[in-house]
Amino acid sequence: MKKIVLTPRGFSMIPIEADVISPDRFAGKTISEIREMEIYYGNKIYPMKEYIHAQGKVAETPDKQLIVIDGDARHIKHIGECMTAGRIVIQGDAGMHTGAQMTGGDLTIAGDVGDWCGAEMKGGLIRVLGNAGNLVGAAYRGSAEGMTGGCIQVNGNAGSEIGSFMRRGMIVISGDTGPFTGVHMNGGEILIFGKAGKRLGAQAKGNGGFIACFGGVTELLPTYKYDTTYTPTFMRLYIRQLSNNLGIDTARYLDMPMRRYRGDLAVGGKAEILVAEKA
Amino acid sequence: MEMSFLVNGVQVEDTFAEGFSMWGSRLIITAATQKWANIAATSMSGFATSVIACDCEAAIEKEIPADESPDGRPGTAVMVYGFSKKKLAASMLSRLGQCVLTCPSTAVFNGLPAKDADTMLDIGKSIRFFGDGYQVKMRMGDGWQSRKRFWRIPVMEGEFLIEEKIGAKKAVAGGNLLIMGDTEDITLKASEAAIDAIHEINGVVTPFPGGLCRSGSRVGSTYAFLKASTNTPFCPAIKHSFKDSKVPDGVNSVLEIVINGLDEASVMKAMGVAVKAATKFEGIKWITAVNFDGKLGKFQMSLKESVESA
Repeated sequence: MKKIVLTPRGFSMIPIEADVISPDRFAGKTISEIREMEIYYGNKIYPMKEYIHAQGKVAETPDKQLIVIDGDARHIKHIGECMTAGRIVIQGDAGMHTGAQMTGGDLTIAGDVGDWCGAEMKGGLIRVLGNAGNLVGAAYRGSAEGMTGGCIQVNGNAGSEIGSFMRRGMIVISGDTGPFTGVHMNGGEILIFGKAGKRLGAQAKGNGGFIACFGGVTELLPTYKYDTTYTPTFMRLYIRQLSNNLGIDTARYLDMPMRRYRGDLAVGGKAEILVAEKA
Repeated sequence: MEMSFLVNGVQVEDTFAEGFSMWGSRLIITAATQKWANIAATSMSGFATSVIACDCEAAIEKEIPADESPDGRPGTAVMVYGFSKKKLAASMLSRLGQCVLTCPSTAVFNGLPAKDADTMLDIGKSIRFFGDGYQVKMRMGDGWQSRKRFWRIPVMEGEFLIEEKIGAKKAVAGGNLLIMGDTEDITLKASEAAIDAIHEINGVVTPFPGGLCRSGSRVGSTYAFLKASTNTPFCPAIKHSFKDSKVPDGVNSVLEIVINGLDEASVMKAMGVAVKAATKFEGIKWITAVNFDGKLGKFQMSLKESVESA
């Protein structure tokens, strides 16, 4: 892969909107052209070089392009938005909408990430080594579907409305989640290894979707009905997938009995919440 | 007798096994223990020795260690063969529904990936109706890994998991060899060794009981109501009574091994290792293969080439 290193020229309270930071937008251009690409600083348009220094080699195709952001990028929004291939590594924090609507490729954030990370994501892999804000993998307001594919892995905690209107794909949170995780969920999987917040799965319809809570739940909505406590075979596939593909140490969760709740009955839903018995 | 060649000092007739084209499929049954995986697999592949009178041909290919199986539990690979995609699917559906769905702790996975298959059969997709509306579709890998679909069906014990599609491909049936010895005992021992050797080859099965067939079949019968009879030319008990007997002098027992496989090369390799294993036994006098002079089958699998390929 050919590497371009982007270095933000310091932190700014005024956000930068830089959806141009994507292997798809960089590939095939010269480094000079990349430096001249337009970004928003507040409500004004500037060439990227004014706020972000770019240096390195440009690939012909997105899948061969690696972008490394070296420094604090928590004021930079839309990094990797709509990317289809290639790799972005952010060696620090990242701003809102990181990886939103991406369809492929690999995006790693070494620090924390702001709200709407992976919103309406369709494919690819996002790894957040720190904490994530609200609305991870969620639908934008007014949209019928949130995440429809891909995987978002958060090693720390995540905020509220994680996986809102989620349709497919997988979200894995190693820490705790805020309220309304999986709200309006209609498919997909959310696996939480910390404690899940209140109003989990509110108005979720199901469609094969489930929320697995390995670290317990703060409380469950009364519109979720307890069915049974059992050891679902299918969970082994997910546990192994997390271990083999995401490097999460999940061995102790294998064959852990889980309490199965079904709902949200308030909307006639058939979604599942599975809570590990020993959580 | 036709031309022959020697393997481990045993005469092997330079002839060929005549194989037929069939649709083959492979699935992996996992369970809480190897015992239950084997029970389900044995039950599923019962009464499936030959399409002469069975709905399909099926057998256990091999045991799958837990660390190699899709869900990390011990498993057993089963192969099923049918004359058409439709018949193959029908046989798998009824057998999975009655023998595996019912068996404690089992789950079923596709053992023939789409890249190697000619078609993907909607097996799990059909089995799901046993869930009576409470089945759950499970989607994995969308947009970031290989896309997979499963069905989770509630059962009295817990939940039955089955992959939505099972791969099938045009395969080869009817690879065979006849092992001829001077006693029943030595012929059986040599044949068992041959079966053990075949089990080391991936992608092949031997559908007859224990892999061995003592009553090979011959097309036609003196009785009008029968379409096949026992293979009289190879029955030592009548070798001097039957006019066209093909049993050599000194041979008093014959066992046949029939091999089905996903491709011709695998079947030939299986034939080859079987010949090599069987010929190590003192008392084995002759090895040959059954064919119809090349008039019926699509595949002509030479014993000589199979030994060379093993």
